[in-house]
Amino acid sequence: MNTLSFASIKELRALLEKKELTAEQLLDHCIAQFKEKDGILGSALEVFDKESILKARKEQGILAGIPGILKDNIAQENRTLTCASKILEGFESTFDATASSRLKEEGALLIGRANCDEFAMGSSTETSAYQKTKNPWDTSCVPGGSSGGSAAAVAAGLVPWALGTDTGGSVRQPAAFCGIVGSKPTYGLISRYGLVAYGSSLDQVGIFTRTVYDNALVMSAIAGTDSHDSSTIASTKTDFTRMLDGKLPENCTIGIIENALYAEGMDPEIVAALEQAISVLEKAGATIKKIKMPVLDYSAAVYFIVSRAEAASNLARFDGVRYGLRSKNAKTLEQMYSNTRNEGFGSEVKKRIIIGNYVLSAGHADAYYKKARIVQSMMRQGFIEQFKDCTLLLMPTHPAPAFKFGAFDVDKLQMDLQDYFTCAMNLSGNPAISVPCGFTKNNLPIGFQLVGPHKGEEVMFKVAHAYEQKTPWHKMHPQL
Amino acid sequence: MALITKDEVRKIAHLSRIGIHEDEVEAITNELEAVLAYAARVNEVACNQQGMLPQNVNVFREDQARPCDAERIKAQGPEVEEDYFVVPAIIEHQ
Repeated sequence: MNTLSFASIKELRALLEKKELTAEQLLDHCIAQFKEKDGILGSALEVFDKESILKARKEQGILAGIPGILKDNIAQENRTLTCASKILEGFESTFDATASSRLKEEGALLIGRANCDEFAMGSSTETSAYQKTKNPWDTSCVPGGSSGGSAAAVAAGLVPWALGTDTGGSVRQPAAFCGIVGSKPTYGLISRYGLVAYGSSLDQVGIFTRTVYDNALVMSAIAGTDSHDSSTIASTKTDFTRMLDGKLPENCTIGIIENALYAEGMDPEIVAALEQAISVLEKAGATIKKIKMPVLDYSAAVYFIVSRAEAASNLARFDGVRYGLRSKNAKTLEQMYSNTRNEGFGSEVKKRIIIGNYVLSAGHADAYYKKARIVQSMMRQGFIEQFKDCTLLLMPTHPAPAFKFGAFDVDKLQMDLQDYFTCAMNLSGNPAISVPCGFTKNNLPIGFQLVGPHKGEEVMFKVAHAYEQKTPWHKMHPQL
Repeated sequence: MALITKDEVRKIAHLSRIGIHEDEVEAITNELEAVLAYAARVNEVACNQQGMLPQNVNVFREDQARPCDAERIKAQGPEVEEDYFVVPAIIEHQ
């Protein structure tokens, strides 16, 4: 059954079409995999019962009969939705997120809720109020975060795809830590209707799969304008797999962001793996152009400010009035708000709200929030300039491989800096994908990022796919 | 000079309606100080001119009434009476 566990969506669809496998058998297999392995891994907060999954099933579609799992901040009708927070314990969504409903329309089976950092705030999935998720390559290490449950489940072969959300790198970093493919689309390509908001100018739904083709396929199912999310951009239904022929596009120029690749603190093993990946692309015919984007050195600082400011506003709604937890220790309304939020939120969430309100407050907004917005606009402009000459840009996803649990308990700033290479594209709105490119000597996965121009997903997938076809990394799987 | 003081942490926590314990204030202040010190580097590079900001525009549509089961939504409330969410008194009784 190991071959079924690590089969791609493409391979599973072929088996289903040839009737060598039924959707029910595949679902049984995935549920059994969770039963067998997730006790150790801790990737899912819940795996739904088979009957209720099959009840919502559509027979046709590009993902017909293919099971997957959604990060627990994406609404699924009649399912619990907690954002891995105590403040939403027991909350049940009364509607489907657009991403969920589109997946169902295309026949996918949504089989559970994946663990994550509380309200998607973190880079290790350790801030979940419910459980730890382990990295399937080394269970003493974190899977990354915030979408760590989604990444671990796909990497371990429990499901062939999963959705996460990416506000500062929360899909790409765990994908790299777990040795799989993780994509974040152009801002506005995938609807956020039904996604619990963290930083609204940054949040995007992202996709985890073990191959680039599968990633493009899931993107094809969920991307496109949605009247329920006014921030979606105008885009028609696209088959993002149609250009994937294993070849680079013509006149392909890859810009290597040198101040990122050779940034201080980069693990030499990761630098070596990326240099190897660059040479693979060069041999395949790409023109390699070395570039510098000094403004990217400030992206984490900008991200700290913008994301916390938006989080402070978005999380004001959790007040104990209409749903979720309410503190029992309160005589007045104000005490009820304060105690509910103190008891319901974990410490990382509380700190981000306080920082956010601080950088927005009178006397500080000029020095932080307004300056951050200016640097954000410089970054956006910087990418536009680079894409005049470059087809795609290439940079690290992560400075170091997956770390041990508790590694940053003391120096929390180092945890926040996990977003160093990923958050720039949330701030600029560009699409990016993390692709596996090797392992450290301790057998921990390494990934690199390809960055595309706005709405450049097709060329981004095409180059990522061409690279993947020339390398063995996507065929390597952890043994749990 | 510290970027954020303990008093500011207490004040912002209060305005954010997060009741933090007094024995947490120092640790929170230190952590926030580290984040703000890092974030303050935006001032090194920010010029006075705003460049290209997102080109997203507001998209309007007519409001649409959709059927929804009010009982299910009310059932999520911590305390509900008839069609109202009940909250504690706004002013404390003497």
